Amino acid sequence: MSSPLSKPQIIAHIQKSLNYTVFDSKWIPCSAKFVCLGNFARGTGVMQIYEVQHGEAQLVKEVEKPKPIKCGTFGATSLQQRHIATGDFDGNLNIWNLEMPEVPVYTVKAHKEIVNSIDGVGGLGIGDGAPEIVTGSRDGTVKVWDPRQKDSPVANMEPMEGETKRDCWTVAFGHAFNDQDRCVCAGYDNGDIKLFDLRNMSLRWETNIKNGVCCVEFDRKDINMNKLVATSLEGKFHVFDMRTQHLTKGFASVSEKAHKSTIWQVRHLPQNRDIFMTAGGAGNLHLWKYEYPAQRSKKDSDGVDVGVAGSVNLLQNVTLSTQPIASLDWSPDKQGLCVCSGFDQSVRVLIVTKLNVA
Amino acid sequence: MSADAFFSLQNQSTTADYSGKVPVEHLDYDYIKKCKDVKYLEKILKVLRSGDEGIYPHLIKFCESHLETLDPRSRALRKDNPVATAASLSKDEWSQIFDGLKMWQEETKKTETSLKQQSMFDDPVKENMPPIRGSNCSVPVSQTSVPKEKRNSSKHTLPRDYREWDKFDVEKECERIDRNVVENDPPVIINTGHPKIKTKVDASLLTQQEKLLLANREKDKGNEAFRANDYEEAVAYYSRSLSIIPTVAAYNNRAQAEIKLKQWHSAMTDCQRVLKLEPGNMKGDYFLNSNKELKQLLSETEKKMMECHPEKQRKGKKILIQEIEEKDDHSNNETKAEQTACPVEPSQPVGGEESSAAPAERGDMGNAQKKPHGRGDGGPHSEFNNSHHGHWKSKGGSSDKYKVTQESKEKVTNGTSKRGSTASVQADQSGSGKGTSVGGNAGETVNLDAPCGALPPPLARLKNEGNLLFKNGQFADALEKYSQAIQGCTDSGIDSPEDLCILYSNRAACYLKDGNSQDCIQDCTKALELQPFSLKPLLRRAMAYESLERYRKAYVDYKTVLQIDISVQAAHDSVNRITRVLIEQDGTEWRKKLPDIPMVPLSAQQHRREQPPSAEVLQARAEKAARDAERKAEVRFASLKQEGNDFVKKGQYQDALGKYTECLKLKPEECPIYTNRALCYLKVERFTEAKQDCDAALKLEPTNKKAFYRRALANKGLKDYLACSSDLQEVLQLDPNVQEAEKELEEVTVLLRQSLVNANAPPAKPRKTVPITEVEGDEETTAVPNSDSSGRGEDVSINLQPAGAYEFGQALNAARCSGNMTACAELLASTKPEMLPQLLGTQLDGHNISVIMQALDSHLLEKDPNLVYQHLNHLHTADRFSVVLMLLDKDERRHMTQLFEHLSAVESMEFTKNDVQNLANKYI
Repeated sequence: MSSPLSKPQIIAHIQKSLNYTVFDSKWIPCSAKFVCLGNFARGTGVMQIYEVQHGEAQLVKEVEKPKPIKCGTFGATSLQQRHIATGDFDGNLNIWNLEMPEVPVYTVKAHKEIVNSIDGVGGLGIGDGAPEIVTGSRDGTVKVWDPRQKDSPVANMEPMEGETKRDCWTVAFGHAFNDQDRCVCAGYDNGDIKLFDLRNMSLRWETNIKNGVCCVEFDRKDINMNKLVATSLEGKFHVFDMRTQHLTKGFASVSEKAHKSTIWQVRHLPQNRDIFMTAGGAGNLHLWKYEYPAQRSKKDSDGVDVGVAGSVNLLQNVTLSTQPIASLDWSPDKQGLCVCSGFDQSVRVLIVTKLNVA
Repeated sequence: MSADAFFSLQNQSTTADYSGKVPVEHLDYDYIKKCKDVKYLEKILKVLRSGDEGIYPHLIKFCESHLETLDPRSRALRKDNPVATAASLSKDEWSQIFDGLKMWQEETKKTETSLKQQSMFDDPVKENMPPIRGSNCSVPVSQTSVPKEKRNSSKHTLPRDYREWDKFDVEKECERIDRNVVENDPPVIINTGHPKIKTKVDASLLTQQEKLLLANREKDKGNEAFRANDYEEAVAYYSRSLSIIPTVAAYNNRAQAEIKLKQWHSAMTDCQRVLKLEPGNMKGDYFLNSNKELKQLLSETEKKMMECHPEKQRKGKKILIQEIEEKDDHSNNETKAEQTACPVEPSQPVGGEESSAAPAERGDMGNAQKKPHGRGDGGPHSEFNNSHHGHWKSKGGSSDKYKVTQESKEKVTNGTSKRGSTASVQADQSGSGKGTSVGGNAGETVNLDAPCGALPPPLARLKNEGNLLFKNGQFADALEKYSQAIQGCTDSGIDSPEDLCILYSNRAACYLKDGNSQDCIQDCTKALELQPFSLKPLLRRAMAYESLERYRKAYVDYKTVLQIDISVQAAHDSVNRITRVLIEQDGTEWRKKLPDIPMVPLSAQQHRREQPPSAEVLQARAEKAARDAERKAEVRFASLKQEGNDFVKKGQYQDALGKYTECLKLKPEECPIYTNRALCYLKVERFTEAKQDCDAALKLEPTNKKAFYRRALANKGLKDYLACSSDLQEVLQLDPNVQEAEKELEEVTVLLRQSLVNANAPPAKPRKTVPITEVEGDEETTAVPNSDSSGRGEDVSINLQPAGAYEFGQALNAARCSGNMTACAELLASTKPEMLPQLLGTQLDGHNISVIMQALDSHLLEKDPNLVYQHLNHLHTADRFSVVLMLLDKDERRHMTQLFEHLSAVESMEFTKNDVQNLANKYI
């Protein structure tokens, strides 16, 4: 790390100003195109497809939708179809064929309020098992959907009668390494992180990180759960080692205070699960690497295995803008290519170099 | 520094007080310099940065740099950086990134269109998709505020007191069983990655594109698991990747993971597969080599196994020689069969091919089973294997080549199993087709069974079926197949003694198994008539003789076997045994009663064609002596090498040097020794010698990564950074994954820049600078050797090249003046390409270049295009090259373009068209 040459560099390749507020941006798998989802000032939703060409992002398609679109995912679609699933301000879950985005191929009123977060698994060859979409909403529920089943979710995680409903800010799939096992992790505004086991249909683990959980992500969805990163409102993030679960101590974790503001997003590099990028409220990006400890578990005083957390290493940090970076997505196909969008109404394509060295 | 400050420093180093304000006197160079407390320093830095005590930019910087030396990862050092843009990179770097991106865009476009096309025809609904989850299950989100009783379905949450956990234990236990986690302690769940990862992926419904992507993804997951030291999981993921599409990289990586897991056998088979898929593959070679010591270990255990072997022999048990040859040449498409442990379907239409592969593989696995850990990887075998499980297990005690068969009778009765019947049906079919297609080529089966290349497909099929049956222990059936094959051979009049010999030899093995020694001897003799000095028929005949108690003949055959291959341990043992028996029988004069032992010609090992020259005893003995000497040298060489390696491991490089030098006296053509010695030279900082060794190694093996890398280090030691960086680039070209090389390259690039700066050359800066330097900047890594380094280069060259720059220049001038291109070409041919720039020195001018170009074009290109490429590759690094290039006149330019046109038309292993194109860009 001594020589500056060996450090990964974050290069701003393309910057495109938009005439709407962009909430999410996602690469279309197996292409040099990405989708931007957002909200026109007039209160309607918008979905735009851009293609990276000759160092520019060229608009390929634009569709306006009645409701602002908050989030989207390709996680549950096949490579051949590449349908995007989106959640909007009205609580609808829609699946669109990007070739014909006028009419959704699947639609359901998923939640009573805004869908804050969406994630998919079982598609794109990521994870065995059924294609499923999970949505988390302000109404406090987390629901799992199968695109083959109309109208009703296949799993519903909601607070009991009389409990206070917390705003669910983020959801993520994980642990989908065979047909049966699958977990959903959800983060709430009060700092709760809950891990639902979809195989046993039970709550497997929960913890509280004291501050609103802005984003959770497993390092890989389709392996036996290995690591979970959760970012929080006040600029801290926690990395949990998910391999060893102690009955009382739960999972070992390491936390790092990086940004001086909210960490809006965390995304793991698709080509290396130990490298991840966090996007902060002050318009900055931090690139991290998780270093495993020599032994990932040890015996505690009772002779019970306890996980040992590793350490995180800052590889690079840059400031892109003064406004928060709200979304970030690595290209699944080209290592180091990523797209991010911020509240400064612009979308950027970044190139991160020397990720192999790190 | 005041005494007061000093006192507080001492004080603070033991009990640092962070709570208070930092005293002003601590904001001082001396204090900061002496302070070793990172936290306190961070605090000082904070105060300094805040500007409360005034702004001292230099002190801040000083404090930062001091903090960095103490704790490079300190958070206080993190600074907000502006995002880099294309302009902040050097032009080269950026263009590289941009080109990569462009290429990727084009590629993805292609993939995308092909995906779209496929999706138009394919039905996207997959039948094998898992069913929809049980409808609308509701999972309660229990929260901390909820009373505890309600939390039954939830397992647990973090902060709880211990009493509460007592009642959860039972439930916990059940859940643990659900999850099949092998555990000894109840209250913990460990997610070790491997137990339930399926090692096979059903990719049958996917398109090629998807398969490729998926295979890559699985491989990446394997890589990640490997990095996390989770090797078993890594192996599982590599296996998954391989089950989708077998790739060299995945095999290589799996081999590496298996080496880490000490599964030597599977690692070795994987390496072999790599080499089969891609013969020149370095990694495979490397792993295989690193496996060699393990092989030794293995052969030792095998030997131990053999010790109990003679015992059984005396009890009248028969020895079986298993087919060695068939085992070696099974094709690589059975990989799935082994790794994924999927049963081979008995009703497969290509039964002969697929199924023969699986048992062959099992032969390998049988090998592994002898090791205690080998078993695990084998997994459940095909159904077939299961029916003979006892049989295979019984072989556990002996080596894989020589197996004691106690149950041969049983196995013959097993011949009526399902597999046997299907196989024979196929045999019948192919038998009926025999008449029509006799004499056709054997293209279909060549890949399956190389030695039967000259056999027509039906016969080859027969033979393969025979082999299969044999391996399954159905010797009577195998016998029939072989007999049919032999009959077919003689009927159709195929003149292929090799194949016929193998057939006879195989049939002999069947006879031997059945205890029919007489027929076995007959077949062996026939086989030997066809192919004298074939190892296997000889060995079989010897065994058959022995079992008939015709010890003298057996002795002679064993002796002959040993002449062909001294390493056949069974023959050694038998010879010893028979000697004792014969001494008992005939007394001390037993040798006189022996028939003549035929002398095996030296060439027998390769060809085995010549007749036994029993008369030429003397000559043969001489040859034998020579061979013994050779073998001894071999042994000595190996031991010397080993000793050398040991010394290296211990760090005694001087001693190692001696050993390696002796090694090279014995065998001057061994590339690894050169590279090893180069390493030693590097360690003792004798860079010139190291460089020479690397040169020698590269002469023997022009693509040796290690040699390039070590030469780079040597060059670095010699401060010839230019050569160093070009060597490193070579390494990275050969294998872009060598991280040391990358790091080294970066270092050297920096050093190179510094040296250029020192030599008052214009500093090579990225694009921001004046346009004139830009040209130089482009070449920073490849060209512009400064006078300093070239001067040093000459010192070295005097050792290497007695001709020297002056003489070279003279010769070149003479050739040019006389227009004698041949002389010039000879001169160039005798010059090492890497020396060319130094020899040219400062004498490079347009005429010289033109002459060199013409000579290369007209004379050398035909003979040795690689040399031409090398010359060109080095010529542009010469002094003043870029200047001279600008001054070239039309004619000279024309020569140059011609040369590159011709060069790009040449096909070569050493360079690709792209290389030539890149090179041409530097010239034209």
